[in-house]
Amino acid sequence: MSDRLRQGPFHEASVPPLAAKATEALRLGDFKQAIELFKRLVKQDARPEWRDALTEAYAGRARILAAKGMFEEAETALSKTTAPDGTVLDPLLYVQCLVKRGQLRKAAELAVKYIGNNRVPASTAPKLAELAAALWLAAPVPLAAPVDHKSEAGKWVEHAAAAQQSLTAWIEGKPRQEIDQLLSRIPLRSAFRALRLILKSLMIAAADPARARQLLDGIPPESAFASFRLAVEAALPEGTPEPVAMPSKAQQVFAVEVKGLPGAASQSLVQWTKAERSGPGALLTFLASQTSTLPADDVKSACLNLLPQAPDRLRQFESAFGLLSKFDKNRVLALAAEARNDWERAEQCWTIAAQSIEPAAGMETGLSAGVIYRHLARLAHEHPEIEGEGKSEFPAIEYLELSLRADPDHLPTVLQLTGLYRKHRQDRDWHRLAEDAAQRFPEESAVLLQATDSAIARKAYKKAVGFARKLLALDPINQAARQRMIELHISHAHKQIRLKRADLAWKELAEAAEWERPGAPSFLLHINQGLVGRELGQEPDAEARLRRGVELAGGGVAGWFRASLEHALMNASEANGALLRQELTRAQQTAAPTKEEILSIVSAVGNKDARESKKAVRGLIFRIRGWLLKGGGLAWSAAEFHAMAEMFGRVDAYDLLADYAKLAGRRAPEEATWRYYQVVARSKGDPARLSFAEREELFGMEEVAVRRRDFHTANRIQRFIEGSGPKSAQRRGSRRVSRADLMDFDDDNESLLLELLAVGLEDTPPDMVKRMIEKLGRRQAVTALVDRIRATPLGDMPEPLLRELAKNIVESVIATNGQARHE
Amino acid sequence: MNDPFTVLGIGEDAGDDEIKQRYLAQVRAFPPDREPERFQAYRAAYEAVRDQRKRLEAKLLRINDAALSRLKLAVLSPSRPVCGRATKATVTALLLEGIDRVCTKVSGSSES
Repeated sequence: MSDRLRQGPFHEASVPPLAAKATEALRLGDFKQAIELFKRLVKQDARPEWRDALTEAYAGRARILAAKGMFEEAETALSKTTAPDGTVLDPLLYVQCLVKRGQLRKAAELAVKYIGNNRVPASTAPKLAELAAALWLAAPVPLAAPVDHKSEAGKWVEHAAAAQQSLTAWIEGKPRQEIDQLLSRIPLRSAFRALRLILKSLMIAAADPARARQLLDGIPPESAFASFRLAVEAALPEGTPEPVAMPSKAQQVFAVEVKGLPGAASQSLVQWTKAERSGPGALLTFLASQTSTLPADDVKSACLNLLPQAPDRLRQFESAFGLLSKFDKNRVLALAAEARNDWERAEQCWTIAAQSIEPAAGMETGLSAGVIYRHLARLAHEHPEIEGEGKSEFPAIEYLELSLRADPDHLPTVLQLTGLYRKHRQDRDWHRLAEDAAQRFPEESAVLLQATDSAIARKAYKKAVGFARKLLALDPINQAARQRMIELHISHAHKQIRLKRADLAWKELAEAAEWERPGAPSFLLHINQGLVGRELGQEPDAEARLRRGVELAGGGVAGWFRASLEHALMNASEANGALLRQELTRAQQTAAPTKEEILSIVSAVGNKDARESKKAVRGLIFRIRGWLLKGGGLAWSAAEFHAMAEMFGRVDAYDLLADYAKLAGRRAPEEATWRYYQVVARSKGDPARLSFAEREELFGMEEVAVRRRDFHTANRIQRFIEGSGPKSAQRRGSRRVSRADLMDFDDDNESLLLELLAVGLEDTPPDMVKRMIEKLGRRQAVTALVDRIRATPLGDMPEPLLRELAKNIVESVIATNGQARHE
Repeated sequence: MNDPFTVLGIGEDAGDDEIKQRYLAQVRAFPPDREPERFQAYRAAYEAVRDQRKRLEAKLLRINDAALSRLKLAVLSPSRPVCGRATKATVTALLLEGIDRVCTKVSGSSES
């Protein structure tokens, strides 16, 4: 942004709101908006600072358009920055746009025009001069005779002439001395320096390749001459030092020409290039015919790598190189299926490939199978079409289990699987794997931390202490392990307080203090020591400790909420209650909420003990309700909102959720998350209270989320729709198998299900379905039918199955009775 | 990223030691302070094949160009000395390639 604008009068109180808005848009990089606003301002009053800002906005817009590949539009935007002397604001970008649009001569003319122009920023001037040099050599344009030979532009013209002459001399095969003489007219600080280095390098390449290479190192990779440099480098004897990429066509032709390769090689290269241009299949056919002239193993390997891109050449490959093994064949087919996004087929082929090598003994086969199963687990996360064999509700878990069976020493899989077991509440598997892993990987702190967590969760406290001590012996500053142990002791202290044994609680807290690292005090420990100390009458130290804990927890409402929560969890005497209530009220009056404070409260409420004390938490949230309401206007991201919504839901604070969602919706109406939470809040988190229209709206949102591959949102909506009522657990659990069920339903059991439906839907004969279709349209008839089925004995079926069933009935009625009247 | 075997210039069957030595040699030849882009490419390639499991991943789950690159270099027979001259058309094509590359980069970095 121009200094004038930054320091200008816009920041004063008297600044017109439009100018302030325009400046802000420019500052935020919203160039489109800035252009509109500054155009309006300039129309009203053509102040120089507004004209400058408008020019700057056009240049910014051009940069964005160019980065998106919209070069024509970028060029148009840049042309709006033209000054009275005919120069544009960003000449380098202008030249670049012309090049990308194929207007090389125009680009060269323009680039040359800017040589020595003082309007070109110093930071881009050398780049532009070099680009102009390369452009002029590739697409020469007539150069005006320089007025001043000593000026920068004058020198550039002189160097250009020398560069062109020396390049022509080299191409025409002139002797070295002659070329050297011409090159000596190009100084090393010239924009044509790279050409001088390249030609020098080519002339000494045969005699001294090392020196030739050294000279080429003087050309940076970001130079416009870099491709020329790489071609020379690739052609130098002793191979390429860095085969970063396959040589380009021009580089290949260059190598053939400068090495004077025999006709056969040139011919072969031409054929190769032709085949490559015709696609992987043609290239495979060409290579397969070259086994007599090229190394056979490499030809086979190259063809095998081309097969996934041309699976229709499988038979041709096998006839040329012999039958592929079951493993290789299915690997090729799996990669081909992935390339066309056929995930079901990819899963099928990968599974066969892995199974085909699993029985074979040997480390590499085990590792290969492990790699494939891990790949399938990753795919299962990204593509719901990957379903596993149904041994687990979660295909990712199933594939990770298989991977671990094939490759038991792969630590990341162990950790990932432990995490998934834990996340999906498969506690028995979690504890078993955590325990096994601690024995298998006794030196891995991540494993020991998992084992500590697992031991705490199953109340094996001695074991937990053992794992934590082992972990701290390996990693003495592991804060997570220390924190776990402190929390464990605090949890025990709470129990003691509930049993009215404050003395024993104090002892527990003293043990917790042993895990505290000097210099890293635990706010939780301080708060609890303060609260228990006050129970034991240890004033004034106890209160000081409590206040210190609150301060460590962030102070203010967040800190006093945390203390109040700890107090509620230990169910202690009223002595602390009065102080905490008083401080919490005072803190709310002191300052408005911030995002950090509210998120700190969300995190406290998400704690396991807090989750189990819903009543206490609800009371506390009610106490800070007014304060929380003020936070609705903060700019929440969707991720932050999910966490908050979960907390509001957990404590039945749906009025707060509704308020937050409404305010967020006003800020960003295009974001569907807010609307979703408005529906959740209105139905008080109970899908049974959803209206017909709301249910339809949620299904619509789910479909949109699936289309944009936002499976988190889709699953969240689906879980909400399925997730309440007495059958919630069963419905949630059956979510994953539903797709398989549907396939079975489509294939075999349609008549059986229709019979079942007939029994369940005695009051919904086909005529009624027909009327529903005519009245509501196909889509809404399906939803209405789902509602009716839900009330029958078939209502326990998973939601997707219910919908699919209803859809089939509607389709079959339409097929029998003609099309639905309206959609 | 280009396939790691091609970037490092190693065969698909290379072992841990060979890969490490090749990587270190490349880093020595093109240190990060002088050639940051190349260094990044070598680093990424090395990370992708540094142990047996990763090599298997690169070999089994991705299509690689290593054999194709070797064949192409074999056709170009790198052992012959550089003593001929290129045509004007070839030199122009190389210059245009470089210009296009540098213009693509400028547009990519302009936004930031």
